[in-house]
Amino acid sequence: MTSDSIKNNRNKNKNLTKWFSNIPFLRESQIMKIHYITGVGALFVVAIHIMMRLIMPFNMSLEFENVILNYKNIFYALLLESILILIAIHGFNGLRVILIEIRQTQIWERAVNILVIVAMIGIIAYGTRTIIIANGFSLG
Amino acid sequence: MTSAATSAKRIDDNNSKNDRTNREGLRGWLNPIIYGWERVSYWFQRLTGIFLLVYFIGHVYETSSLVSGPDAWAAMLELTQTIGGHLFLILVIGASTLHTVNGIRLIFTQSGQGLGKPGRPDYPYDPTSVNNKQRSGLWIAFILAAVAMLYGANVLFSGE
Repeated sequence: MTSDSIKNNRNKNKNLTKWFSNIPFLRESQIMKIHYITGVGALFVVAIHIMMRLIMPFNMSLEFENVILNYKNIFYALLLESILILIAIHGFNGLRVILIEIRQTQIWERAVNILVIVAMIGIIAYGTRTIIIANGFSLG
Repeated sequence: MTSAATSAKRIDDNNSKNDRTNREGLRGWLNPIIYGWERVSYWFQRLTGIFLLVYFIGHVYETSSLVSGPDAWAAMLELTQTIGGHLFLILVIGASTLHTVNGIRLIFTQSGQGLGKPGRPDYPYDPTSVNNKQRSGLWIAFILAAVAMLYGANVLFSGE
């Protein structure tokens, strides 16, 4: 085998690896860092979210008017959006890890990646819609 | 059979075993018996993770009823204002606490903390990484989950 053909094979393999890798622009170690950061981030924002339910009697805090008032507060709306994004990324990446542990083929891994990314975007879009409508586009 | 043919057959056998047929799949994943508490922690982390993801999707859907007005919100809220709904939420509280505390332990573990010093493998070959620090982290996760569930039960059933 000539050095040129070795080089060509190497490039071909590199392209294949890139094409079939989990997520082409991120290494698995980087994805796991994102997983941990979103997990720790979610811990703090969810703690605030739960505390907001406990600053008054629990049943009262869930009354429609009180919940809408929460959503109309821009800082709380931003908090809810951050919870939505952090947990969607953390949760669906966790699901991806589990599904890839169960089976390892290129088609399966690509299908799982596509599924979790679509689901992640879908749930973030749906939750954001609720936050925007309930906020009523007001900043007050 | 010559020794070369025997070893070739053995390699063939090993290859066929490695050809994904010897995998236990979900059964192996869920088997806690031969792997100890670390395996229990492994599948608790995954099961609570899946459970919380399902709850998260349901919660996003549930809160979307806000945009349909007070009646839709009250109707959706009624689902959780039952004993079954409260028990489900208590399970969510327990699962999220366990997942969080065990997850923090796993972050430390994966960054090399609390694994002990690597040493020569001597009989009975207990790995230094599976030590009391790791196990106590798991027990703390279980205890905190139980405490959080009790607190959650008190809030949910008293309504305060």
